[in-house]
Amino acid sequence: MSAAASVAASPATGAELLEIEELCKSFFGVEVLHKVGFSLHAGRVLGLVGENGSGKSTTMNIIGGVHQMDAGRITFNGADYRPKGPRDASKQGIAFIHQELNLFRNLSIAENLFITEFPKLVPGLPFIDRGAARKRAAELLAAVDLDIPPTTLVNRLSQGERQLVEIAKALGAKAKIIIFDEPTTSLTTRETDRLFDIINKLRQQGIAIIYISHILDDIMKLCDDIVVLRDGDVVGKALKTEMTIERMISLMVGRNIDQLFPLREAVISAGPPALEVKNVTQRGTVKNISFSLRAGEVLGVSGLMGAGRSELARILFGIDDFASGEIIVDGETLTKPTPMICMDHGMAFLTEDRRAEGLMMEAPIDQNIALSSLQAYAGGFSHKIDSSRLKADVSKMSNSVQIGARDITKTLVKNLSGGNQQKVVIGKWLLRGPKVFILDEPTRGIDVGAKNEVYKIINRLAAGGAGILMISSEIEELIGMSDRIMVMAHGEIRATFERGAFDREELLRAAMWDGIRSGAK
Amino acid sequence: MNGFRNRFAMLALQNATLLLFAVLIIVFGLMSDRFLTPVNFVNIINQSSHITIIAIGMTFVLLIAGIDLSVGANMYLSAAILGVFFAGMPPIAAFPLVAVLGLAFGAFNGFMITQLRVAAFITTLSTLFVGRGIALYFSGNKMVPFSKSVLTFGRTAYLGIPSAIWIFALVLIIALIVLKLTTFGRQVYAVGADPDAAAKAGINVKRVTFAVYCICGVCAAVGGLVSGSQVAVASSTFGFQKEFPVIAAAVLGGTSLFGGRGGVLGTVFGAVLIQTVENGLVMTNANPYIYPLVISVIIFIAVFTDSSRTTVLERLERRKIRVEPD
Amino acid sequence: MTTVDVRAVSKSRAQAGWKRLLLSEYLVLVLTVFYFAVMWTIVPEIASSETLLDVLRAMMPLLVVAIGQTFVLIVAGIDLSAPSIIAMASVVGASVLTGDGGYANGTGFEIIAGVFAFVAVGAVIGTFNGLCTTRFNMPAFIVTLTTMMFFSGAAIWYTTVHTDASSIGNLPRGFIAIGQGTFFGGLPFSLFVVLVVGGAAHFILSRTVYGRWLYAVGLNPRAAAVSGVPVRRVIFWAFIISGVCAAIASILYTGRLETGTPVLGQRILLDVIGAAVIGGVSLFGGKGKIFWTIFGVLFLTVIDKSLQLMGLPIASVFAIKGSIILAAAVIDAVRHRVLVRG
Repeated sequence: MSAAASVAASPATGAELLEIEELCKSFFGVEVLHKVGFSLHAGRVLGLVGENGSGKSTTMNIIGGVHQMDAGRITFNGADYRPKGPRDASKQGIAFIHQELNLFRNLSIAENLFITEFPKLVPGLPFIDRGAARKRAAELLAAVDLDIPPTTLVNRLSQGERQLVEIAKALGAKAKIIIFDEPTTSLTTRETDRLFDIINKLRQQGIAIIYISHILDDIMKLCDDIVVLRDGDVVGKALKTEMTIERMISLMVGRNIDQLFPLREAVISAGPPALEVKNVTQRGTVKNISFSLRAGEVLGVSGLMGAGRSELARILFGIDDFASGEIIVDGETLTKPTPMICMDHGMAFLTEDRRAEGLMMEAPIDQNIALSSLQAYAGGFSHKIDSSRLKADVSKMSNSVQIGARDITKTLVKNLSGGNQQKVVIGKWLLRGPKVFILDEPTRGIDVGAKNEVYKIINRLAAGGAGILMISSEIEELIGMSDRIMVMAHGEIRATFERGAFDREELLRAAMWDGIRSGAK
Repeated sequence: MNGFRNRFAMLALQNATLLLFAVLIIVFGLMSDRFLTPVNFVNIINQSSHITIIAIGMTFVLLIAGIDLSVGANMYLSAAILGVFFAGMPPIAAFPLVAVLGLAFGAFNGFMITQLRVAAFITTLSTLFVGRGIALYFSGNKMVPFSKSVLTFGRTAYLGIPSAIWIFALVLIIALIVLKLTTFGRQVYAVGADPDAAAKAGINVKRVTFAVYCICGVCAAVGGLVSGSQVAVASSTFGFQKEFPVIAAAVLGGTSLFGGRGGVLGTVFGAVLIQTVENGLVMTNANPYIYPLVISVIIFIAVFTDSSRTTVLERLERRKIRVEPD
Repeated sequence: MTTVDVRAVSKSRAQAGWKRLLLSEYLVLVLTVFYFAVMWTIVPEIASSETLLDVLRAMMPLLVVAIGQTFVLIVAGIDLSAPSIIAMASVVGASVLTGDGGYANGTGFEIIAGVFAFVAVGAVIGTFNGLCTTRFNMPAFIVTLTTMMFFSGAAIWYTTVHTDASSIGNLPRGFIAIGQGTFFGGLPFSLFVVLVVGGAAHFILSRTVYGRWLYAVGLNPRAAAVSGVPVRRVIFWAFIISGVCAAIASILYTGRLETGTPVLGQRILLDVIGAAVIGGVSLFGGKGKIFWTIFGVLFLTVIDKSLQLMGLPIASVFAIKGSIILAAAVIDAVRHRVLVRG
């Protein structure tokens, strides 16, 4: 047992409502939870923190009935608890409010609250008692301090108000435990304050709350108990009063960088920058972004979810618009970039969402790899593809990025592992020989072996003179791979660190501490 | 300022069809003094009632993002059955029987779509052929005359209102109650908005889907009966390609083809609008050949404004991650 | 013991064979051949060269429309306006060609001008469809539904402007030959047209950048856009191709009937889409080949012809045809589930 776990949990005030013991869970042979245990008390807020992949979501998904546990025990209200699914969990009194809200935007608040169980005019007949529904909805809304007529369409509500509707729904289902997963990422400051007031009120009513967040400030403000997870282990359990943000960060990071990252020399290039960004601003997403990326350099971008990193990447590659500023690639200013124009200037973009934007899942590997380069292999009036040359180059590429598949012309991408899928996307872009490669979460959802291969590819590319902008939520990955790291928060660049001055805690602090709240004011 | 202009644009877009309708009524009213009369108004409703009834059923299907191409065939089949097998029966007994057969037709569609998971488009395309074929078999590929009692019913006005309008009103009221006042009705909207979320929320998506095709089947059959009782005989092209004006009426009334948006009142409005245009063109002695041109242009304009509205809405609702200090 | 094993092996081998057939892209062709063989025993005339030529002739215009439709279906669109394009092109083309005061009558270029008019009508309507779907984000179903209604009506109106009759006749011989002429001792000239159109379509879909882009847009438009595919332009051109194909079919139909008729092609819409889907083209985009479409059209035409030969009343023709489409769709749904299970 680690030293951190010895931080004793003090006796809590409320009755014990939920006890988790030695919870284990593996996905595809990879253990993601290792004997996780903690307990939850009525009328208290438990903050659950940890880096991405530490096991927070898996734990919550098991409690919320989305996944089943492999081993361990959960006791809820003194009885054994094993939900069959999300419906079952909510029936038993555990509500899970996901980051992506599960509301029907074309229906009113009241209808959303009662969509499966409307109050009836006459018991046994299907007719809705609209008056009663309205009245009960109004009561539930009052309980969450939402002063909006229950007949309002959800469409008209702000993100924060929708969140409150979800809470009202949980109250309507008589939830005893409410789980919040990163509830504040899309809320304004005022909405966040309001949410916290409601959570405090719920606490007074004896409801137990699990609050997951990256924003440690909020955790300190809101929670009574804090549990820190790292790599599927509970590494810290303490009362808020015994915890500090400093300590949370060091518990979360806690481990040495192992041999995962291939060694590389920092490249200092005197040549012109491969990509230069000046004061790029877009209302609602990024503000005054300026930096330059040198050829042969790996520039890491760190920050919390919702800091504007992916949005910046999309603007740079011409997928989204920007209001003002300049993007200069290889000495040329792109006034109205589109993906095609960016590609013509030697840019490439690896999306964070492979499934939706990176791949044609129903198509074989070779067609995916070829997609961005087709024009380079076509000529003449009809743009006929030189298929033998294309085929040769695609199969060379597929070997070079080491996609493990028997026949690249037959195997559909949807049948590949996450790591191999990512290599297909990378191969697609490498076939163009990019000079500037923007990577958005290049190792998300892939196993350690594949990660290492991706890192090697990135190094090879940088050594070949390409400039690489690497966005990642894994700080260790950024530290291991980057020559410089920019930290973004709230749509702005907050700090830039040179290699040699990398420090995990400093990086986390830049992203979290001086956090989202203060930036808004 | 910007917000105000946006809101104004939205208001205009939201009510574009209504504006269009008002303009048309004024124009036709100015061009013909027979147009703006109560008699003509009843006439318009009467003539459009069969399309309206079927379009009400279609609205349910469109609300869950489905489609039913077989309504025209269902219409013909119902009329043929009425004329061939139930000739001796009074309409009060025959109509419900035929409506039940229409329900069975719809249930078959629903079964293929929910249980065998065949795409709605192709299922209803094939039942279009099968239904029409069975109807032609019953009719022996000849005109099907209706019994006297049916015709009398079709031509009688009760309390000064033609029977077709009574049936239409009945269907409309039932549809309104089902859609607005029952759990099922609200679940139809939920399924159309997001079937995955609906399933997660505990709604039986398959059952809702099956039910809307049954409803559409009943409405198509009733529409066939109403139309049949008005026109005296069903020729072999009875109901042919009626699916298109029916879908057009629903879409014109603001029902989205992608589910979750719209309602039966809008559909009634859409069907009446089409009939009003046709009627107005007759009243103003327009060249009959341009009727379909005018009608399709009006549908086009309505759909065009609807798409623009959706585009504007999407732009307004774009995810914002950074809060502007307004 | 051993016999049981042998039986089990042969059974599993048979199962594997069935599965392979079910998943094969030639399934529809196999079904057609099977159906043809069964029909042969019932109505032997079906194998006569006359009937076969008839099938061929009936297939040709339908095939051209279906080929155009395939392009639109691959990008997950739909083109309901094809019949109205056929009708409109027919009357506009005929009004240029006709000896009764046609626009190009007596110029010596009337056939070229006429063919140009046909194609122009298809291209213009296709352009309109494409513009509305890509620029104004209107659903393809509704856009092409309204263009169908509009131009079906417009074709009739246009005819009334030009003639008191219900169609525009007196077309030049040279033009009629396109629809009726034969070469190589009996093969219809329309076959030649279809070979050219089909060959070009097959080439575009399988060998060119545009073809690969079509599939990419149909499979995942967002991924295609991020990969630098000009998604809107790709969809836009698919509608133009569909329009032009319908116009070419109109040339064949008009030539065969010797008159420009505004009711031409009214009933083929669902046949065309049905044929493509039966062949294996997906309504949800990303899947389709010219050969599949050919198989689908062949399948439907053979069924039509056989039912006609059997002297069945129109009622049975409709019912049987519908059932067969439904059966094919069910097989497709089963096939899809087998594929998903792997």
